Amino acid sequence: MAASTASFSATFSSLSFHPHLPSCLSSLHPSFAPKHPQKPISLRFKFTSINANSSDINTTFFDTTDPEEIYTFSPPERPEDFVPPPSFDEGPFESEDEIAKAYEELYGAAYSGETFLGNDVYAMNSKIKKTTGFGSKAKKEKVRDGFEERVVQVRRVTKVVKGGKQLHFRAVVVVGDKQGNVGVGVGKAKEVIGAVQKSAVNARRNIITVPMTKYKTFPHRSEADYGAARVMLRPASPGTGVIAGGAVRIVLELAGVENALGKQLGSNNALNNARATVVAVQKMRQFSEVAEERGIPMEELWK
Amino acid sequence: MTRRYWNINLEEMIEAGVHFGHGTRKWNPKMSPYISAKRKGIHITNLTRTARFLSEACDLVFDAASRGKQFLIVGTKNKAADSVAWAAIKARCHYVNKKWLGGMLTNWSTTETRLHKFRDLRMEQKTGRLNRLPKRDAAMLKRQLSRLQTYLGGIKYMTGLPDIVIIVDQHEEYTALRECITLGIPTICLIDTNCDPDLADISIPANDDAISSIRLILNKLVFAICEGRSSYIRNP
Repeated sequence: MAASTASFSATFSSLSFHPHLPSCLSSLHPSFAPKHPQKPISLRFKFTSINANSSDINTTFFDTTDPEEIYTFSPPERPEDFVPPPSFDEGPFESEDEIAKAYEELYGAAYSGETFLGNDVYAMNSKIKKTTGFGSKAKKEKVRDGFEERVVQVRRVTKVVKGGKQLHFRAVVVVGDKQGNVGVGVGKAKEVIGAVQKSAVNARRNIITVPMTKYKTFPHRSEADYGAARVMLRPASPGTGVIAGGAVRIVLELAGVENALGKQLGSNNALNNARATVVAVQKMRQFSEVAEERGIPMEELWK
Repeated sequence: MTRRYWNINLEEMIEAGVHFGHGTRKWNPKMSPYISAKRKGIHITNLTRTARFLSEACDLVFDAASRGKQFLIVGTKNKAADSVAWAAIKARCHYVNKKWLGGMLTNWSTTETRLHKFRDLRMEQKTGRLNRLPKRDAAMLKRQLSRLQTYLGGIKYMTGLPDIVIIVDQHEEYTALRECITLGIPTICLIDTNCDPDLADISIPANDDAISSIRLILNKLVFAICEGRSSYIRNP
């Protein structure tokens, strides 16, 4: 839960999960004692035994955030003129018009179909993409948002049903700008073009960054597998170019890596090899990152 | 984040029955930090923690509302459906109180198509075109309209994905929670003793069976939203 709160606090500024409560270990629940005769001391005993057993696992996380820290609930003081608000169905009854007006003030006419404040009811129509008619085939976005697409493999796959064979096309596409961002995607459709588009959409959804050095190569060797495909990647000196087979080469080229060696060690399934290179690249660390994590200067790493 | 006073007192919560959990056999062991006792085969949640989480949730909601974010309240239990609708209308939020259609958020483009259809049907009904059609067509369209009204009625003012989602029962609305997680939308969830507290961003351990407890918590959150909204209106 702390990991999600960490990402959560990234979206909203400074969510302090543990505001500074005095840890009242001595005074347990002064307001709480009469209501619950079974004190939570028994619970805490259970917890100490759990902590003792897990001392071999590295739980440094629990040193700072103790789930038992929440002992008392000390809210801010009640202001003098605080009037408890009415429950939501006892308050002043609003007619439907008033409700609609209030909503429209906040959100605009959206999809309600009626306006009281004079907004345009058809405001959301610009979002409909025309599938037929005049403007339908006007602009097929060829090069949108700087990513280049390259098709790794297109295969015709069949599903056998009672009536016969149903044919689909499955496209594997790699999407990348040559600056270190790549993504691999799959898509199936009844037509090749549709499949390629779907796979491009899918690829844009899972994009990773490739750690690259100044000479457009990897920081170190790495191996990874995905399924039965195993890929080994190795950095190379400038001027080598990308020396790798099929899917691996396309992924590395679109990532912007210029000098690398790669080998498919396991199966030669194109999709799995592409995914394995992605996993291999994710395993790599820049020298500066490792130095920071370990807290030692970078010179030590080169010894 | 400012901490304000939200009028949360433990006596009120006990009266509403917020501290009851589900039966002992159905619990999720991840909830053990939030369970304080076991009585008559039912787990009792620790109300200090509930109060603490509830006040944090209210603070967060107040903060977000004062920045003009959009909320969505999801609660499909038929006991709680009416209270969810009332609460959301009072707080001027979007809500889903009948079945949560799969892909409502992750497949937002398709949901938008349905919303467009809903709006067009409403317009036709208002201009009276439905009466001029033959009876069978008119009946079909009216049925479609009523269906869209029950499922999409609460989100008809939603122009894009919401910023915070409040879910009433995690066990029941698992699909909704999963969708929010894949999209990265922060969630506030009412957790009972058989739910997983790590899934939602802020999980409030409470009773999700009793209507009074759901209403109490919704009351506090709605109050927080209203306060935040009014402060947003005063200084945008």
